Amino acid sequence: MSNLIRRETGHAVAVQEQVGQYLTFLVGTESFAVSILDVKEIIEIANVTRVPLTPDYIHGVINLRGSVVPVIDLSARLSRHCSEVSKRSCIVLVAVETSEGSHLIGMLVDEVREILEIPPANIQPAPDFGTDIRTDFIQAMARVDDVFIILLAISRVLSLDELSLLSDLAQSQEHLIAASD
Amino acid sequence: MSELDAALTVFAQEAEELLTDMEDALLSLETKPDDSETINSLFRAMHTIKGSSGLFGFNAIVGFTHEAESVLDKVRNGERGIDAELISVLLDSKDHTAKLIEHCLTQKEAALPASLAADGERLIRQLTGRQTTDMQQSDDSVQLEIEGGGEISVDDNWLISLEFQKDAFRNGMDPLSFIRYLRTLGEIKQILTVASEMPVDDDMDPESCYLHFKIAFQSDANKQTIEAVFDFASDDCDIKILPPNSKLEEYLNLLNAQDDNHVKRLGDMLVQVGALTQNDVNHALQSQQANVDAEQEAPSKPLGEILVEQHVVQQPLVDQALKKQEQTKQKLASEANYIRVDASKLGHLINLVGELVISSAAMNLIVERHGLSDAGDVAASMNALVSSIRDTALELRMVQIGETFSRFKRVVRDVSKELNKDIELYISGGETELDKTVVEKINDPLTHLIRNALDHGIESPAQRVAAGKPAQGTVQLNAYHESGHIVIQIADDGAGLNSEKILDKALANGLIKPDHDLSQQEIHNLIFAAGLSTKDQATNLSGRGVGMDVVKKNIEALRGSVEIDSIEGEGTTISIRLPLTLAIIDGFMVGTGQDRYIIPLSMVDECIEMNANECEIDEIQHYINLRGQVLPYLRLGDYFHNQIADSNRKRESVVVVKFGQTKAGFVVDELHGEHQTVIKPLGKVFERLNGITGATVLGDGNVALILDVQGLIQAAIKNKSRPAPFLTSQRIQ
Repeated sequence: MSNLIRRETGHAVAVQEQVGQYLTFLVGTESFAVSILDVKEIIEIANVTRVPLTPDYIHGVINLRGSVVPVIDLSARLSRHCSEVSKRSCIVLVAVETSEGSHLIGMLVDEVREILEIPPANIQPAPDFGTDIRTDFIQAMARVDDVFIILLAISRVLSLDELSLLSDLAQSQEHLIAASD
Repeated sequence: MSELDAALTVFAQEAEELLTDMEDALLSLETKPDDSETINSLFRAMHTIKGSSGLFGFNAIVGFTHEAESVLDKVRNGERGIDAELISVLLDSKDHTAKLIEHCLTQKEAALPASLAADGERLIRQLTGRQTTDMQQSDDSVQLEIEGGGEISVDDNWLISLEFQKDAFRNGMDPLSFIRYLRTLGEIKQILTVASEMPVDDDMDPESCYLHFKIAFQSDANKQTIEAVFDFASDDCDIKILPPNSKLEEYLNLLNAQDDNHVKRLGDMLVQVGALTQNDVNHALQSQQANVDAEQEAPSKPLGEILVEQHVVQQPLVDQALKKQEQTKQKLASEANYIRVDASKLGHLINLVGELVISSAAMNLIVERHGLSDAGDVAASMNALVSSIRDTALELRMVQIGETFSRFKRVVRDVSKELNKDIELYISGGETELDKTVVEKINDPLTHLIRNALDHGIESPAQRVAAGKPAQGTVQLNAYHESGHIVIQIADDGAGLNSEKILDKALANGLIKPDHDLSQQEIHNLIFAAGLSTKDQATNLSGRGVGMDVVKKNIEALRGSVEIDSIEGEGTTISIRLPLTLAIIDGFMVGTGQDRYIIPLSMVDECIEMNANECEIDEIQHYINLRGQVLPYLRLGDYFHNQIADSNRKRESVVVVKFGQTKAGFVVDELHGEHQTVIKPLGKVFERLNGITGATVLGDGNVALILDVQGLIQAAIKNKSRPAPFLTSQRIQ
């Protein structure tokens, strides 16, 4: 963990611009990052109550100090298979802003890595294709140690409109299955 | 600044209440035009609004309400009759006043918009238009009678002494108008004018009032009524009313007859028998207090003595009352009163109580787990306390639905005039209570349903007579409690729903297919489908953008339901069923696999064992025989998580739930029993989820989901039976 915080001192021009801090975590074996400003809290995975009639990416709901907070399975949301909950699994709580105010949503990730400071010079726009996740989920690509990390666009990945819409769809699909058997 | 703002808030609230009262009063005047108490309350409303607006310098309001007040004063004095036309103008005036107040509160400095000003002038013209001449005449007639002088006769008359202060005129008080109004209560036998205060020379200011009156007045009215005449003058006038001697005996008898259960204060006793009014007593108490302040060493005079000195009561009465007071020994009961509380404070309290309920459940769990037998008793009694605190806290927010109902009187009145229909609104069950938050949200759907009943339900008088019904249509609003829910019914005796018309429309819109065989109930429920409207032409009443589908959605958002019952030609009854509260419910916890769910206890009818031999379980058809009745059931675990049917199931139970007329069974693995359930919203992500209405936090910190019984039953019916939408309750009985 010696590379926990690194400063790109080589880029004198970039120093003038604001250096962003990003939380990196693993989903499966891939690294992703979100801006630290979006992250409210990281908690250990606790007892999750699954919610019936919802798509795979809704992992369930948890009790966060008396409030009921939904947890999204990030792996499933990024069109991968559902995560297996392990000892290293964590819930990253992020605040999603909507017109009706801020909503707290948990993201189930397989492992939380570190907080990186990435200068804007190392951040590039997302490629138009070439990644296997939806391009609108990618805010940008960050180069760290010559490796690219995907910066997730939280407002898109956890879009409340889309999440609630899709849970509607999943429900009718399940009903169709139920009706056909 | 903030103090002024606070004062303005109070003013706005007070004005709103007064205007609401005024509207109620006006509407009740339509049926009882002679009720003087109602007319008085109208006058009071305008007078008070005028007074408080004056304090804030809202001259526009003062100007308008002054005109309305003068008209009402004439009505009160019997100089002007009240008729439907005047009531209409007064109703408009009430609305106009509300608009003025809103304008003044929102844009204090801005000038009145032209439309508002024009409305005001028009209303003033309508209000005052034709009775300026009456006014002149009556003034003269009073003047003639005041000529008298000399001694005033005491015999059997009330003695009223009026000492107006010099500023009375400047404060808008006209002694003559009070005397004129006094005459409506009885006969003025004699008036003595006392001009001793009148300055002789140039000191005399024509704008000041120097004259005092002594009036011998014969009337059967009681003292309160007489004093009420001078209610508005009490600040500017020293009023003393001495009852006639014949009343004395009556008062003495009443004093003797008073019950001995409480020690009452002398003043209260005299007020109760009618010899004094509360104002008299307050006045006397004030002067008593003043004496105490002035000369502290001397013992203050007893209240009785002061009262006699002030000539408001006779000596024998005071003696008798004092004797009576001696006889009774107990403490007096304190006054019951209302407290105005900020709604957000109440909301916070209820949230805290919710947390308390959860922690108490957690404590019980720990006590149980560690087998602390001595702590068990304490925990049990605390549990009982917590649940009564919960009930009391929720009751704080309960309000009667009557106020919401009575608002619709105006709607019915206005709409029926507009439609040229004669419609009477009957209200019952106004005392039924429900949560304030629910009341606020039910207003819009109710308005829509009532407008529908008026517009589409009730036929025109001619059609009604032709159909052999009375020309006057009726709409009934009723509310009552039923198994943890409140039921609100809107019933009209109009044309009812035309099933054929609805079917045609539904077919045309593709909501149903021609081969669907629908029951009456199912056809009626089609009107809640979006985009289905049977009215041939839209009117401005129904063109409000809120359809029946929105009504249904709003009601379902409150975890309620709506049912429709209609007989063509005889009328339609719409029943809305709502939970009493949105915060905490009594739940019944069940388990399937490792999942736990809460079913609202009010919907649980019974629990039975799922026994293949006794219940004739039909695994393919999914129904059981419950004491001779068919009970369809749903395996919660299978339904929710699409589990493949397990061939060797454990012991299962059936929870029989009842929703309105519909019964169904939920098959579960475990019954956990009753659970006080604090409802937590599930949030926006799950807002479209059917079958689950919310979540709750259990004592062990886990989350359990609350089942939406109605949603589940409907979804099951939708899936398992016919694919037509909007088929709701499947009647079993």
